[in-house]
Amino acid sequence: MTQPYIQEPNRIQEEALPLPIGERLLRNQCITPQQLQEALQRQAGESDPKEHLIGKTLIEMGHISHPALLECLFHQLTRERVAYQLNPSAPAIIRFDNVAKTLDGRQVLDGLNLEIPAHKITAIIGISGGGKSVTLKHMVGLMRPDRGDVWVGDQPISRLSGQKLNAVRRRFSLLFQEGALFDSLNVTDNVAFPLRETTALTEVEIRHRVETALQEVNLAGMGHKFPDELSGGMKKRAALARALVTQPEIILLDEPTAGLDPIIENAIHYLICDTYMRTRYTIVCISHAVPAIFDWCHHVVVLHRGRVLASGPSLDIRNSTDPTIKQFISGDLDGPIQVI
Amino acid sequence: MLTLIQTLGRYTIEFIAETGRMFLFVLSTAALAVRPPYRFNNLFKQVHFIGVRSLFVIVLTAIFAGMVLALQGYYTLTRFGAEGMLGPAVALSIIRELGPVLTGLMVTGRAGSALAAELGIMRIREQVDALEVMGISSVQFLVVPRILAGLLSLPILTVIFDVIGIFGGYLIAVQLLEMSSGTYFSGIESAVVMRDISTGLIKAFCFGLIVTWICTYKGYYAKRGAEGVSQATTSAVVLSSVLILVCDYFITSVLL
Ligand SMILES: Nc1ncnc2c1ncn2[C@@H]1O[C@H](COP(=O)(O)OP(=O)(O)O)[C@@H](O)[C@H]1O
Ligand SMILES: [Mg+2]
Repeated sequence: MTQPYIQEPNRIQEEALPLPIGERLLRNQCITPQQLQEALQRQAGESDPKEHLIGKTLIEMGHISHPALLECLFHQLTRERVAYQLNPSAPAIIRFDNVAKTLDGRQVLDGLNLEIPAHKITAIIGISGGGKSVTLKHMVGLMRPDRGDVWVGDQPISRLSGQKLNAVRRRFSLLFQEGALFDSLNVTDNVAFPLRETTALTEVEIRHRVETALQEVNLAGMGHKFPDELSGGMKKRAALARALVTQPEIILLDEPTAGLDPIIENAIHYLICDTYMRTRYTIVCISHAVPAIFDWCHHVVVLHRGRVLASGPSLDIRNSTDPTIKQFISGDLDGPIQVI
Repeated sequence: MLTLIQTLGRYTIEFIAETGRMFLFVLSTAALAVRPPYRFNNLFKQVHFIGVRSLFVIVLTAIFAGMVLALQGYYTLTRFGAEGMLGPAVALSIIRELGPVLTGLMVTGRAGSALAAELGIMRIREQVDALEVMGISSVQFLVVPRILAGLLSLPILTVIFDVIGIFGGYLIAVQLLEMSSGTYFSGIESAVVMRDISTGLIKAFCFGLIVTWICTYKGYYAKRGAEGVSQATTSAVVLSSVLILVCDYFITSVLL
């Protein structure tokens, strides 16, 4: 998929332009101009036309199937990844400045310097217990560094508190590793919770959004169940729906695919890609789905022993010659990381 | 010897620090309680949980407390030929002491332990963090309604305890010991003054604060793991029970 482009940087840059989805589908000849026109007209007739939902409208009108749409978006992501490799310049939206953190007498982060590119998908990989979740918690100010600073845009989130902190936090949503669904609420109420508490949406609009979010994670009809009635994978997907429903500009996902079967894992990767293509939000995703995750993100950060071992375009990291990274990707027991 | 002093010192410092944290906790709760958004729904839920669902235990405790007081009191008072004073003896003990204290202890056992465990589980399963990430103050969302519900419920439960307790005394005095019901009630009416009732209610109010404050504090700061939650629950129940009795002594000595 990636090879033919290497020779033609200009064409790559052009094909990787973050166009609106309708335009993109048109260029890739997934739909005809007439079909796009029809869909746009139909949207214009609706009370609340939303450009980013054009894909849904096209599916409803039967112009494209859902898998075909997702496939097309995935190819688009691939193009963007290639373009990002050639020209990896994006402003940082989150920046770690020499962050150190000791927990229970153990140095978990040790002078971490890290930049998360804005409006890109970033994957954080590294061995278990390497401080990935701790890093994510620093981004939203749930943990504070012993030393150093964490910046979100121009806000030093590690030094904020009260209303200011809450204002920055509302730019985020976070999928916790264990889901962190509220036990006392059923799935629907869990997903609706952030909308009810932090937005002024009407109950009708909230219901609509929650239904859509549950459909997207393949949990339609499960809304009445309580968290302890769900399997691990279902909990994870419900929590993912809760993270996506508020449409924040930065989405942090702590192992969204861990413990899921390969089909659902793939479906979640497509869902993340779809969300990204529609919204262009910044997405940060901790993942153990190596090497599959390399195909789904622009940027990869490898955390090791509380520091960044490597970071860069996913294609570069994928082909890295660093023995530690190579061992991590291949899963060999023999190498610089000694586990047994 | 040196290690003994070190250990003592460490415990002392730990004790002072913990006390300080507890006061900061209740102060920040008070500050957040007056700030919008006001979540009346949460408050009603907690009043239901702390107040309404404690009713049965309170009624049961009250009726037996009243009955045993009457029996015991009759036995003592007949020795001095003062069995006519049975009504006031029962009523005053209940209104001034047993009503608020037993209500506080029963609510600690029934609702306080559950509060600590619930918040503890929310803490270790990162649900408290989830609230914070959504930009919602977890203290305002979780702790404020519970403490307010305690402040509201305890005085009401105490009044119910008082009424049922006096009725329990009536059952023994009039039905079993064949005292005239006129003697029982008129004695109460002439002996109990407003000050007795207000003392009881002030106590109930303080105990409501103690139970919900200690139990939410312990749960909110539960340590990790199932052990952390069980530890938080145990220490919440022990500490609030002890504090209720200590506080009872001081209020009594000040207001007597
Ligand atoms: N709240 C905490 N208190 C104490 N230690 C913690 C806490 N959270 C994480 N740790 C420790 O920090 C280290 C890194 O944890 P984590 O970031 O969860 O790893 P992972 O990379 O697998 O997500 C682990 O050794 C863990 O025990
Ligand atoms: Mg983790």
